[in-house]
Amino acid sequence: MLSRRRWGITLGIVLSLILSTVAFGALGGRLLSRGTNGPDVREMQAKLIQLGYPVGPLDGKFGPRTENAVREFQQGHGLKVDGIAGPKTIGELNRLTGSSTNASGTALGNKSADVNLLAHIVNGEARGEPFIGQVAVAAVVLNRLKNPAFPKTIAGVIYQPGAFSSVSDGQVNKQPTASSIRAAREALSGVDPSHGALYFFNPAKTNNRYIWSRPEITKIGQQIFTS
Amino acid sequence: MRDRMRKAWLGTLAVALLVSLAWGVNEYQAAKHFRTALDVQHQRSLQGFAGHLDQLDTDLAKGAVAGSANQQVLYLGRVSSQSEAANHDLAQLPADQTGLSYVGQLLAQTAAFANSLSQRVAVGGAISAGEAKTLGDIHTRVIQVNRKVQDLLVRSNTENLAWTSTPARFSLAGIFGRTQVAEAAAEGQAGSAPRSVRNGLEQLDASLEKLPPLKYQGEYSTRSVAKPLGLPAGQVTRQQAQTVAQDFLTKAGYQGLVPVPAGETKGPLAAYTFTAKTAYLEVSRQGGVVLLFRDQRPIGTRTLSVAQGKSKAAAVLHAMHWNLALTSVQDDGSYIQLEAVSEENGIYYYPDKVRLMVALDNGQLVGYDATAYWAFHHTRSFPGPRVTLPEAEKKLPAGFSLTSTHLAVIPRPGNREVLCYELRGRYRGEEYLIYVDALNGKEEKIERVIYTPRGEFIQ
Repeated sequence: MLSRRRWGITLGIVLSLILSTVAFGALGGRLLSRGTNGPDVREMQAKLIQLGYPVGPLDGKFGPRTENAVREFQQGHGLKVDGIAGPKTIGELNRLTGSSTNASGTALGNKSADVNLLAHIVNGEARGEPFIGQVAVAAVVLNRLKNPAFPKTIAGVIYQPGAFSSVSDGQVNKQPTASSIRAAREALSGVDPSHGALYFFNPAKTNNRYIWSRPEITKIGQQIFTS
Repeated sequence: MRDRMRKAWLGTLAVALLVSLAWGVNEYQAAKHFRTALDVQHQRSLQGFAGHLDQLDTDLAKGAVAGSANQQVLYLGRVSSQSEAANHDLAQLPADQTGLSYVGQLLAQTAAFANSLSQRVAVGGAISAGEAKTLGDIHTRVIQVNRKVQDLLVRSNTENLAWTSTPARFSLAGIFGRTQVAEAAAEGQAGSAPRSVRNGLEQLDASLEKLPPLKYQGEYSTRSVAKPLGLPAGQVTRQQAQTVAQDFLTKAGYQGLVPVPAGETKGPLAAYTFTAKTAYLEVSRQGGVVLLFRDQRPIGTRTLSVAQGKSKAAAVLHAMHWNLALTSVQDDGSYIQLEAVSEENGIYYYPDKVRLMVALDNGQLVGYDATAYWAFHHTRSFPGPRVTLPEAEKKLPAGFSLTSTHLAVIPRPGNREVLCYELRGRYRGEEYLIYVDALNGKEEKIERVIYTPRGEFIQ
């Protein structure tokens, strides 16, 4: 009888150990803060990167850069800024990186390919510019889609040979910031501070005669937007 | 001792030489592998470009003779997709210089034009004589482009043409293989035989430049309208605009914030720009209305729900004397984004749109964009619907489960506006918005509704 009870206790301990490992393996099973490590931290880091909050190496270690990214994410999403990923922070991360669905609930994927590529070009071309200027750069790409002289997809416009210097020098491949992603979303929702511009350039960095010949619409930050 | 040191140095140098040689060979092999992979990709693009151009030529020829609407839609659709595919391939080929290529522009124009015509014919419209002539002009140019590209393809295959004329800074292939430097030096005159694929395409561009411009400027050349339809009459001064900006900030809940002149924008919606701490505003020169406002202040901890944020947006719209219906809301975490359109007698006017952003920490307006409203709003003269709602519903497929209906004016390609019944419902597990023309009963547009993490999205 005693032996059976001992077996029961042993089995209980083993099961709870296994369950705790599984719980720690899945994001949301525990509070994540500075010093915690594991696959759930890695999953959280990947989601932060996806939303434009750099964490340094994707290594499953909750270090200072990850903490900073969590703080910035919390700041940008109306959460209490404490650098600890609790249920609310992880819930918001899961929500924003979750799948879109159709009316019957079938998962359709993240559906963020356009936002992602647009954010890359904003990051490559307008990093350091005022936010409204970043929205304007994204809007220029979208304005080109509507012009018959340009290709009809975002990828077609961005990768058109020689169209953007950040594609030529590889800056476009860098991970976009949260600000670039937000600017891309705003432009896709229809906001256009460039007022229909098809080109933009930094006057200090170009002597391209064609682009200087275009009528100026507005100047935002360091960039001139032209028709 | 000195001899031993010398041997040790020589040994080290020999090892270093061997290591660097092995490294060099390895790098060369890797570079060769990448070069081959890139070459294959370029070949695929050139072959695809030529193939799509050839098919485009054929489809343009067949489409010109198609008599029935069905055949016209079929061939115009093909012309559009073949042009886009050809342009896609052209963009993959290596380029030496920046700027729009005439071939790329011609293909993009062809795709847009054919797509526009196809949409019109699909809803019962016809191709005018002028448009048929433009299609003919396009075909003449496509034949010319196609002929030269087929020649270029043959030359590329038989003469092993280089892809670009730009010499590599240092290339073993350049020293031991075919040299691109010599080829680059030999070219430059338009009309001479192309020495590289890119040079051949540039010559083609140069030959197209001699033709008169294609008479197709698109359905709309930019997102801005040529002349705003909704702006109030009369010009305002910068001081008057500043007062408007100040009044707007007060109504939006920014007490004591003073707008400072920042500059001005030009074009059809010319405006004075202002900044106020973290905010940016644009006030139109004509009519003196706020076109755009965006505050980039850090937003604090969320205290409001989406529904509460929506109520705040409605209150701000009311305070600014807007009579609009909120049509969509997106939850971005610290703020919500809303769209509102003008509504009169139960009709939604989708072109007359205002976008809002409301911070969820205190319900303050942090974003406002009325550009579309002021650009497109005007008094419409649609006659009342000639088709009844039950007649419009007959256009829906059997088994379509209708959830809501109302009348709406929607923008359509070609700067058109159409009065439609908006029929929302579900069919085979998907949700749709189907627009049926309220004047002629034709199915005008189909939208699919999906649910993204931020809210409903129409695609």
